[in-house]
Amino acid sequence: MKHKVRRQLIFRAALAALLLAGADLCRKVLPYDPFKTDMRSAGKPPSAAHWFGTDNLGRDVFSRVLQGSQTSLYTAICIVLIVFLIGTVIGIVSGYLGGIADTVIMKIITIFQAFPSFILAVAVAGMLGPGIINGMISLCAVYWTTYARLARSLVQQIRGETYIKAAKLCGASKWQIMLRYIMPNMIAPLAVTAALDVGSVILSMAGLSFLGLGAQRPTAEWGVMMSEARTYLQTAPWIILFPGLALFISVIIFNLLGDSVRDSLDARTERNSY
Amino acid sequence: MFQILLKKTGSFLIIIIGITFLSFILSYLSPGDPASIMLKKGGNMVSEEVVQQKREELGLDSPMVEQYFRWLKGILKGDFGTSYRSKKSVVREITESLPYTILLTVSSLLLTMLIAIPLGLLSAKFKDGWLDNALRMITYLFSSLPSFFVALVLMYIFSLKLKLLPVIAKGNRNGMVMPMLVLALTLAAWYIRQVRAIVLSELGKEYVEGLLTRGVSEMSILFRHVLRNCLAPIITLTGLSFGTMLGGSTIVESIFSWPGVGKMAVDAITARDYPVIQGYVLWMAVIVVLINALVEIICSLLDPRIRRGRMSSDEA
Repeated sequence: MKHKVRRQLIFRAALAALLLAGADLCRKVLPYDPFKTDMRSAGKPPSAAHWFGTDNLGRDVFSRVLQGSQTSLYTAICIVLIVFLIGTVIGIVSGYLGGIADTVIMKIITIFQAFPSFILAVAVAGMLGPGIINGMISLCAVYWTTYARLARSLVQQIRGETYIKAAKLCGASKWQIMLRYIMPNMIAPLAVTAALDVGSVILSMAGLSFLGLGAQRPTAEWGVMMSEARTYLQTAPWIILFPGLALFISVIIFNLLGDSVRDSLDARTERNSY
Repeated sequence: MFQILLKKTGSFLIIIIGITFLSFILSYLSPGDPASIMLKKGGNMVSEEVVQQKREELGLDSPMVEQYFRWLKGILKGDFGTSYRSKKSVVREITESLPYTILLTVSSLLLTMLIAIPLGLLSAKFKDGWLDNALRMITYLFSSLPSFFVALVLMYIFSLKLKLLPVIAKGNRNGMVMPMLVLALTLAAWYIRQVRAIVLSELGKEYVEGLLTRGVSEMSILFRHVLRNCLAPIITLTGLSFGTMLGGSTIVESIFSWPGVGKMAVDAITARDYPVIQGYVLWMAVIVVLINALVEIICSLLDPRIRRGRMSSDEA
């Protein structure tokens, strides 16, 4: 059973890595320039020359979907890394200091969580103005609270463990305890959360771009492409279908990877506790 | 009891004040200058002095804290400001769109429950059977589907190919079917899994075994005992969704041009209509906090264990 979990994790991680690497490498082998318009071949259905057809401006949809993978996937990974770092640091500070600092930070987290998540993202992006960076900031504002809450409760939990007391008795400094004993034990649950979040961040970012709040035209980004193609749903549904499928498949791959990470790390923590 | 209530109200107030501050800060930090947006609307050229005068008139020169308290005073009097775009008061803008969102929310949540509760129950009852496996697969795939993709695919099939439903909702009953369907399908996928998990954990409890040994039929256990005990967590989840959905599903509403608050917010953002965005954010956050509190109360009334728990803490 354990073997199966590990094999699954390796397979899915390889798939996700392939996707990420592919998003970068495919730029060199694009069949067409993703931004070059050509009105003579506008709105053509999928064919041997244009695998995914062309859009309303004659741009090659296949090239744009490939180019868009970079924008969509890398921004999502970036966002997850940022909230992971910011949230964890805030959570550790809150849990380690306790007292007034902890109360204030917890109240701030509660206030952020009072907003329905996508509405907070839309509001922040709307206030800051459209743009890919502002879209990223707004999603960071939504996602950091989970990590802060989790990191805080982990610190509080681990602090009370016997091995921390033992380390203190042995004369370890505050920093040593933090870095060598508390941190390593926090990584697993936080990493699981991060792995499970990637898919939903990809979806949210595409959603923001679809509403015109994230990436802007003419950027090749899946949400933007689908939003642009809405008007041509009847005449050229393939412009929407292919970015949609690309989005769907990427999210599934990252969700599967997240599940695998959770399963394998859970197994490990179980083993440790015996 | 009284003390608990007082403490709850206290933290509730702090959260509300925090929400107002956050909503204010958001628009305070936003790069657009309201004075010039108001004056330069429609492409008018305005001199710098006029803009400056307008700024003073709107009180935009005073320090941030002062501006915040002035704004808060207005809010307490029910004055959320006026829309730059329509010149209507923000309160009116919201109260005009809110009924549409409430209608859509209630109907799609009802549809979700109609789909999710029976399927979730069956899935848990026949765990690892073919239905359970199929449902788990389908719901998993659905959770990875963006709602706008579902919306556009349904639109393509039902409106453009089969010509059964209108493309644009326009707020009438026929137009509500599509947004309702999209919301209910995406939500149901999530709810089936939740209901399944809740029922499974309930089925694993000792009283189920006790009832079985006493010869109560499986169906009777499932519907008369297990389902009733599962109601509280399901109601909690529904309440939370209700709160979130009252914010208007921005994406679905704007795809189908359903004139609810979600579409209002997106339109306001496109037009940089800050008072409307601010009012919307504040309004929604307060509603969500209120509904969460309400859910807690309803659940405690429904569940005698929690009800008694409250009472015993009252006596103590």
